[in-house]
Amino acid sequence: MLTQALAGERAAFGALVRAHQRSVYSLALRMLSDRHAAEDLAQEVFLQLYHNLASVSSEAHLGFWLRKVTMHRAIDRLRRTPRYASAAPEEAAAAASDTEHADPMLERRLRSLVSELAPAARAVVLLRYQEDLDPVEIARTLKMPVNTVKSHLKRSLAQLRERMNETADALT
Amino acid sequence: MSPDLENEDLERRLHGALEAVDPGERFVPGVLARIAAEPAHAQRPPRAAAVVSWLAFGLAASVVVAVLLAHEWQLRRIEEGREARRQLVEALRVTDEKLNLAYRAVNTQQQAAPAEHSGA
Repeated sequence: MLTQALAGERAAFGALVRAHQRSVYSLALRMLSDRHAAEDLAQEVFLQLYHNLASVSSEAHLGFWLRKVTMHRAIDRLRRTPRYASAAPEEAAAAASDTEHADPMLERRLRSLVSELAPAARAVVLLRYQEDLDPVEIARTLKMPVNTVKSHLKRSLAQLRERMNETADALT
Repeated sequence: MSPDLENEDLERRLHGALEAVDPGERFVPGVLARIAAEPAHAQRPPRAAAVVSWLAFGLAASVVVAVLLAHEWQLRRIEEGREARRQLVEALRVTDEKLNLAYRAVNTQQQAAPAEHSGA
């Protein structure tokens, strides 16, 4: 698919987008907490990919490249537009997958709390739990020392656990 | 909801809560439309764009090499001119020396001849 897209086949490039759109769009949505901004950013990422396809060497490299560009663009947009950084997290919280889960309310609350994390910490948490990357891969993607990734994860988990327990206490 | 979420439980729930979502059917056509809306030069397929870039680079490199070769040829011609001039000056100097020797020899013979006549 990559080779065909590289040869300039629009249909092959479309298939490539379809294969990676969930990951790119979800990262953008959970970083920006805004559906329109997320869709726009995700499209920009694929546009950039179209022009840089020759520099992508394999499917694995493609995944790494897409995650890296998405996160850097999202963090950059958060810096330039503070509106997104302080946006109400309802949209990110509502962005549930198609899969049915045991406790949709709890998951919705978790998504909302993740969207309230600081951008760098949010990026680390998303790459860890949405993309299943290990700390070394996250460090490479975000160009961050591995120890910084680990401390972001530790602090974010502590913060999320504390806030979730507060929510539970308020409900009981 | 559990009163005290353990780390492992929280991580499991995070995996569930942060599953990727689909942007919808309109996403791919949206991306392709944005590509199509770009100026013609930006729309070239990646490999064609790469080929054009390499051709441009090759052409620019050829021009630089041609200029360097022309400069080198010019320097060689100047050096050859200097060498020819040096050889000409040397030849003139040698000729001058020989003429001086010949002149001195003729002068010496002429001065010697009247003295012989007067002595006789």
